[in-house]
Amino acid sequence: MHQREGVTDWMNIKKRWLVLFLLPATAVFILVYAIPVSMLTATSLTDWIVASTPHFNGIDNYIRLFHDPQFISAIKNTLLWMLLQSTLHISIGVIAALILARKKFYWKFVRTVYMFPNIISSAAIGMLFVMLFNPSFGFVNQFLAAIGIENAPNWFANSKTAFGAVTITWLPFAATVTILVMAEMTSIDGAILEAARVDGATEFQMDVYIVLPMMKNIIGTTAILGATSMLQKLDIILMTTNGGPGDLTLNMPLYVYKTAFTAKQFGLANASGVVMILMGLVAVGLINRIYGIGKKEC
Amino acid sequence: MKVKKIITKSCIFVFILLIIIISVGPLLWVLLASFKTNREILNGGVGLPEVFSFKNYSDALKLAPILQFYINSILAGVGSTLANVFFLSMAAYVIARFQWKGKKFFRMIFSLGLLIPGAALLQPLYQTMTTLKLHDSLIGLSLVYIALGLPTTIYVMSSFFMTIPIELEESAYLDGAGFFRTFASIILPLTKPALGTAAVLEFLLAWNEFQFALTLTASNAKRTLPIALYYFKSQFASNYGAMFAATIMVVIPSIAVYILLQEQVVSGLSSGAVKG
Repeated sequence: MHQREGVTDWMNIKKRWLVLFLLPATAVFILVYAIPVSMLTATSLTDWIVASTPHFNGIDNYIRLFHDPQFISAIKNTLLWMLLQSTLHISIGVIAALILARKKFYWKFVRTVYMFPNIISSAAIGMLFVMLFNPSFGFVNQFLAAIGIENAPNWFANSKTAFGAVTITWLPFAATVTILVMAEMTSIDGAILEAARVDGATEFQMDVYIVLPMMKNIIGTTAILGATSMLQKLDIILMTTNGGPGDLTLNMPLYVYKTAFTAKQFGLANASGVVMILMGLVAVGLINRIYGIGKKEC
Repeated sequence: MKVKKIITKSCIFVFILLIIIISVGPLLWVLLASFKTNREILNGGVGLPEVFSFKNYSDALKLAPILQFYINSILAGVGSTLANVFFLSMAAYVIARFQWKGKKFFRMIFSLGLLIPGAALLQPLYQTMTTLKLHDSLIGLSLVYIALGLPTTIYVMSSFFMTIPIELEESAYLDGAGFFRTFASIILPLTKPALGTAAVLEFLLAWNEFQFALTLTASNAKRTLPIALYYFKSQFASNYGAMFAATIMVVIPSIAVYILLQEQVVSGLSSGAVKG
């Protein structure tokens, strides 16, 4: 009897505490997500520019956006980067995971150092590559000169090389993919692999026919993470090319940033922000579908 | 058969070697160059500097208020980390341990942040913070960082809370401990591993964050380290050595935290995998 009363009390007290315990998290959620997302959506339908009063103008901003060649370039570049990051980038990470999972003597060392570029700020990564690719003192051109290739381009400024130079600052650094896939691989039943080994399967065959199919869900997840990370790359672009030359390396975040903070066209900027959120959602939905994430497997 | 094996082995060797080179090579090159004179840097090469001199470092500190930026980064990093793990653990606790109406809804909205690219919110957040007089303030910036880490912390903490036997609270309560005390002095200490993971991820997030630091601060008194490189890129343009030294100063703390707390980082990243 006494104990039952105790438990009921516990449930009652809970309600008061419940509100208190949820309050801080809810408050920052409202401040940083709920209010800004509502403002974003609402003002994307207005003619708001700095210091003016916003007036409703329907979908004018969206129409303007899709007639703006710069915006079209930003979308095209971002989509291409999303595609590369959800295919090539994760392939590199998965291959590294398969190799490191064999637990040769070097695996821990490689996993540790591979993570370095992912752990330091992307602004610093941008700076690092600005210096590496510098035409007068950069390592890349000095190295090329040393092996006899003179007149190497100014990578970030040359219209033929800028896109590739920016891509190389993030494409090969797939350590988070590697870590996620390796973590998932620990859940594989060792008996299955042992049986395959007894049947004479090589390590390569086991990777391709047993391990990879079991990694489908996690690979899908990394594809989502890879694709959506391309909607976050303001820092590296600002540090390296600032979207140039022309708008060859302009991406969505930089378009949003410049429209809001340089051109001060808030309504237009926020419409492009809405488009960017939608791009992320579509990518998530599409990749989920391709990999069949969330579906029951038999 | 044997030839095939040799080819596979050499492919693996080349792949691993490339990974090591791209991950460590640029950092080592910058580190070595940060001790060289401008003339040595222009002459090129990857060798050791003629003399190890810290002149570039003192130059960098003179060219940009890097120390001030360091202090700001530490304040925003430590402040947001402490607040993030404590307050969000509270929310994760009631979500993980109790049955109540609306629980699913809260669980859902707390993970929404993962779907919203930060750059989309730059102008609205700038406006919100300006209205609240939190623009150009480390508190405002820290609030944003707490929220950016919200989905991860809630996820990491609530998964861990679910593994603790419920009898613990029941007996604590019957012994007369109140709700908050049960949480703070009995349950929370048991979650140290998860707290550590959440804290490391939040600290690195705050330490490395760029776009909100760029738009939500306006004066050198409030700017953080990642944007030091952006603002002083042009100042450094004539003094390459200082540019190398400044980059090293920005990078070192992240790498140090990572090496010291590697297990937390790795387990934190992989705990996200369970969700997928």
